Amino acid sequence: MFTFLLKRLVQATIVMLVISLVAFAVKDNLGDPLRELTGQSVSEAERQAMRTEMGLNDPFAVQYKRFLINAVQGDFGTSYTFNRPALEVILDRLVATLELVFAATLIIICLSIPLGIYCAINPKNWFSKLIMAVSSIGISIPVFLTAILLMYVFSIELGWLPAYGRGETANWLGWESGFFTLDGLSHLILPAFALASIMLPLFIRLVRSEMIEQLSSEYVKFAYAKGLPQRRVWYVHALKNTLLPLLTVGGVQIGTMVAYTILTEKVFQWPGTGFLFLDSIQRTDTPVITAYVIVVGLIFVITNTIVDLLYGLINPTVNLTAKG
Amino acid sequence: MSQSKHMSLLEVQHLQIEYPSRHGVMVAVKDLSLSVEAGEIVGIVGESGAGKSTIGNAVIDLLSPPGVIANGDVFLNGEKISGLTREQMRAVRGSKIGFIFQDPMTSLNTLFTIEQQMIETVLANEKVTREEAYQRSIDMLNAVGIPKPELRIKQYPHQFSGGMRQRVVIAIALICNPQLIIADEPTTALDVSIQDQILQLIKTLCKERQVGCMLVTHDMGVVSSVTDKVAVMYRGELVEMGTTSQVLGAPEHEYTKSLISAVPRSDIKLVRFPLVNYIEEAEELHQLDIANHWLGQSQDQKEYQGPLLKVENVNLRFTTKDSIFASRREYVQASNNVSFEIFEGETFGLVGESGSGKSTIARAIAGLYAPQSGKITFEGVDLTALKNEQARRPIRRQMQMVFQNPYTSMNPRMKVADIIAEPIRFHKLAENNQQVEQIVADLLDHVGLGRKSGIKYPHEFSGGQRQRISIARALATRPRFLICDEPTSALDVSVQAQILNLLKDLQDELNLTMLFISHDLPVIRQMCDRVGVMRHGCLVEVGDSEQIFTSPQDEYSKNLISLMPSFENLSKAHLQIASS
Amino acid sequence: MKYGLTKIAGALLAAGFALNAQAADITIAYASDPISMDIHEQLSGGMMQFSHMSFDPLVRWTQDLQFESRLAEKWERIDPLTMRFHLRKGVKFHSGNDFTAKDIAWTLDRLKSSTDYKGLFEVFGSAKIVDDYTIDLVTTKPYPLLLPMATYIFAMDSKFYTGVDENNKDKAAVIKFGNTFASGHLSGTGPFVVKSREQGIKWEFERFDGYWDKQSPGNVDKLTLVAIKEDATRVAALLSSDVDMISPVAPNDHQRVKDAKNLELVTLPGTRIITFQMNQKSNPALQDVRVRQAIVHAINNKGIAKKIMKDFATVASQQSPAGYLGHVPELEVRYDLKRAKALMKEAGYEKGFKLSMIAPSDRYINDAKIAQAAASMLAKIGIKVDLKTMPKAQYWPEFDKCAADMLMIGWHADTEDSANFTEFLTMTRDEKTGMGQYNCGYYSNPAVDKLVNDANVETDTEKRAAMLKQVETTLYNDAAFVPLHWQNLSWGANKKLDMKPVINVMEFPYLGDLVVAE
Repeated sequence: MFTFLLKRLVQATIVMLVISLVAFAVKDNLGDPLRELTGQSVSEAERQAMRTEMGLNDPFAVQYKRFLINAVQGDFGTSYTFNRPALEVILDRLVATLELVFAATLIIICLSIPLGIYCAINPKNWFSKLIMAVSSIGISIPVFLTAILLMYVFSIELGWLPAYGRGETANWLGWESGFFTLDGLSHLILPAFALASIMLPLFIRLVRSEMIEQLSSEYVKFAYAKGLPQRRVWYVHALKNTLLPLLTVGGVQIGTMVAYTILTEKVFQWPGTGFLFLDSIQRTDTPVITAYVIVVGLIFVITNTIVDLLYGLINPTVNLTAKG
Repeated sequence: MSQSKHMSLLEVQHLQIEYPSRHGVMVAVKDLSLSVEAGEIVGIVGESGAGKSTIGNAVIDLLSPPGVIANGDVFLNGEKISGLTREQMRAVRGSKIGFIFQDPMTSLNTLFTIEQQMIETVLANEKVTREEAYQRSIDMLNAVGIPKPELRIKQYPHQFSGGMRQRVVIAIALICNPQLIIADEPTTALDVSIQDQILQLIKTLCKERQVGCMLVTHDMGVVSSVTDKVAVMYRGELVEMGTTSQVLGAPEHEYTKSLISAVPRSDIKLVRFPLVNYIEEAEELHQLDIANHWLGQSQDQKEYQGPLLKVENVNLRFTTKDSIFASRREYVQASNNVSFEIFEGETFGLVGESGSGKSTIARAIAGLYAPQSGKITFEGVDLTALKNEQARRPIRRQMQMVFQNPYTSMNPRMKVADIIAEPIRFHKLAENNQQVEQIVADLLDHVGLGRKSGIKYPHEFSGGQRQRISIARALATRPRFLICDEPTSALDVSVQAQILNLLKDLQDELNLTMLFISHDLPVIRQMCDRVGVMRHGCLVEVGDSEQIFTSPQDEYSKNLISLMPSFENLSKAHLQIASS
Repeated sequence: MKYGLTKIAGALLAAGFALNAQAADITIAYASDPISMDIHEQLSGGMMQFSHMSFDPLVRWTQDLQFESRLAEKWERIDPLTMRFHLRKGVKFHSGNDFTAKDIAWTLDRLKSSTDYKGLFEVFGSAKIVDDYTIDLVTTKPYPLLLPMATYIFAMDSKFYTGVDENNKDKAAVIKFGNTFASGHLSGTGPFVVKSREQGIKWEFERFDGYWDKQSPGNVDKLTLVAIKEDATRVAALLSSDVDMISPVAPNDHQRVKDAKNLELVTLPGTRIITFQMNQKSNPALQDVRVRQAIVHAINNKGIAKKIMKDFATVASQQSPAGYLGHVPELEVRYDLKRAKALMKEAGYEKGFKLSMIAPSDRYINDAKIAQAAASMLAKIGIKVDLKTMPKAQYWPEFDKCAADMLMIGWHADTEDSANFTEFLTMTRDEKTGMGQYNCGYYSNPAVDKLVNDANVETDTEKRAAMLKQVETTLYNDAAFVPLHWQNLSWGANKKLDMKPVINVMEFPYLGDLVVAE
């Protein structure tokens, strides 16, 4: 276990280093932050002076070294637009993104498992066929379109749900979230469904095919032969085995969802990190861009590690100490 | 129905099982009637496709879709159990009929402890408390011979060895005191020594508890050692049924006769397996004038003095647990100081249970693994010293391998003719393409596939035919040395007999030297001149095969040989017995 | 409830204003929000909008580009270099401090030290305080744009911004990059106090109880400003009544807003000119006035305004929009393919030539599409255009290098004055004076330079207008650049908002005066 975590830590560090190097290397191609910072009538000489002051004229190696030394101390630079530490800005917004991801995950779990199982158990039922048909269409609809469509139907036409933003939040046990207010929840529904729509079809299919595979396995037949009732065979034996691969695939996918939020957040003006990232790109706020990429990379590594740990907990045949 | 008549424990009457499909109805079992008495073990024997497993599944209504019982009835203790509702059937399963599957690893759910899987069985079938169910489970584990059941019951299936797992499966099958057990190939996935224990366990439990048992198997050895009665199935039909000694000793049906004659016997060595009439897919072997044919004109001079292959002190280990610290790494010693010699023209057998290291040695010889230490010399050339592909190539050509599952080693997108021609082209053994085609056609004829099969793809062939393809491919380099790694383990007994005959013929014609690896002692006895017995990576005994089989020296070999099913009650009609 | 007081105040005032309705809460969505609370940190549209909400300038523009009294009650020119402002009495800052001439002097000094404004206020010397409510603004040379510049002088609370903050830093500091006191704290005289601010998300304003302008009909009590970057979302928020007013409204959505029963769409011709510059340095062919003329004649800017901009643009023939001093109504839009071809032939380029073109893809409305259209129009007179469009972040560094033969640039005059266009876009490049800073056309005409320089010290409006008109005419004849259009401005709002009286072409609505009907 210790070796496993140590290895992960080393891997994570290397990944972070590579990400930071790449992020740092491309930042100069993202444009000139000064152009966004200054008004149009500011002279080039003055801009140049500011660049020097901000250290942007230093050679790459010098800048990178400075970045690394600061980063090790938790300082990823100061946002040009927010005038606050970039990491702080991102962490502030991360709550909203995680809230969105969490809500989308809940939706995915609550829908994909029952629907997937239903389709696996009743493959010839018209409802199963409908679910599969819808999900195969769903897989190819871009999230942008889904989001606009949801917004059009539920905000503009029906007027049930707000079209943008996060709504009121409330604090519960130190967690500031829209989950705890009615307004917050109503703001959350559309973006969460839009975000969930990216992966929902995939998950339904995953659950279905896993369940079908499990249902045709020997142990299921043996469970029937033991005289177990069908419900127990389906919902205890087959389901647990179905969820195991779902955890690995799904866990990693949910980790990547933090990155998928970008488009959803953009459309719904959800004040999370993805939206911040897009905005920062437009404003050439390189410290935020760099910090974002690193934070997202870190989230990937962390979710993967958690998934592996959970997998080890649930699957008795996996021994983490033996895992590379 | 004739309810008045005395009924056996299990009575199957005119059972017809069908698999309807778009291409018509496939009849898996045709008008089958048989019965099992309490305390009696009835073997159902047959080759793949005979429908034997389907019977067991049909009895407890677990036919895999789209299979249906088209006709006939099943009675248990005089009560009709075919055509019950799902819930009624569930009351039969587990509590009245127990079921044992072939592979204990897949029949237990890996994510639940043994305790959970046993207790749920009891609770599903009987109205007892959890505590009682637990106690019953412990008792049952004791009965099937699992030491420290209180401890082991908390564990997960993967923490048990194969044999122990099968004991657990048997314990679960018997825990609700069923009147009948259906055992579907219960020992096929197990090693020889464990196979015998499990069979004896089933036998004892059945006798003690007066439980009837329907034992489905392809293995004549199993039939001969535990069953009271035997039913022989062929293509969905019951061809012969009677007491075991009667059927095995004096078979009446032609199929039974040929099946029995194809069984590799442990008691006597045969020159050839008598040709089995009941087997299709084999064309008459075309005789070639080997002396004048390309196949007989290898460029290798075959007069090497001394052993053709010499394995000296070969050590090979695999890492099972890696660690940054050398002291914490764990290894398995797959080959521990192994030494033996193989002479020109002989067949050397390596026998041992799974994990004994016999395949590892074969792969080391073929150059697929590099030993940590030791020497392997072929015709005096140290193979371990060969540094590059160029140097290894002439050896490669002279040494060919035949694997257990040939399908995985064939490119599914290549035609059979191209698969066989590939080594000829690679080693540039023919003058032109026309000659290559001619050679391939002759080879296909010679291994009994017929030259026309060259234009087909591997998936169009059955297991036995594929093995013929892989033999043809092995022969295409005109090798001197053939490594056969469990070449017939995946095949039915009659097909096995054919392949073994083919190998014997080829060896005689071409003066091939063979390393023959198998876990199956009777097969080894039939095929090999000399035998090495392996255990845990060590070669425990080497000797002439007849000597090993009749008077083994090593304790382990003795034990292994003693566990071979005795075939003394098997008919010896029509056999050519080799005189030693 | 706090607004109770305002209600009472409103009721008292209602005597004079029959229409003055009850206090209202509204939400407004813009594409982005100001990046700071320090109005001197950046000169940008968003910052100007914000300045007019929480601060008051000395004077402000009216809808027809005249000046209107704010903190200065009246003003008079004392001599060519001096303008005297009589300040309003009884004005209080949000902090409670009284507003005096000292605050204006202090603000002016601060403007002169800020990066974005120091160029604009270069001609100003220190202000002379005559008494608490009289101040003289002095310029180093006669300066015609003194009043336009006075619209930028939003009084900041000098007492509030003096001293050191908890980090021991000067409260007055105005720094672009770094956290300052002023970027997070505010005390102005404006109609709205900032209640809370989540940068990039929303600002909450509340009407300032002690606002001096009791004449203002405005009845907005609580105002929430949200940033909604995505055009479609902004419109959706308006359509679903999540917000009461938005700006801008994307051209594609105009009809939907118009069609909605409860909504109103208002568009105004804007003052931001979109042009192509023709780089005479990188492509010798462009040095020939006939070639430049040909290009101007070949590009159908009318068509662009109609088809691509969906009439959401005012087609242009010059830099100055109508209402500006230099605007010459007689200059006609030139699109004449025949003439263009003839000019090419005349110049000896009847076989055409190649040129490179760059344009941003996310800076101006439909920028990339316009560039593509222009490129295909030029193909008709044989000019093969190698077009590259890129996000603005990458575009500006390229533009700074003048790295193409034709470059798109839009310009809005910070001074709302014609001369400003020329100073930055078409005057001869001069590192020292900073003139022609964005002149990638390298157009250089001493006559134009002189006219602009003279105009900048000419305080007689009539004379000055003549000079600036002369400039536009010269540029027109020389085909110094390709004029395309002025981008229009758009607002969409709930009909209960009486939007029209408060919006203007400068795009900073005077929200303090906004009346909301119940």
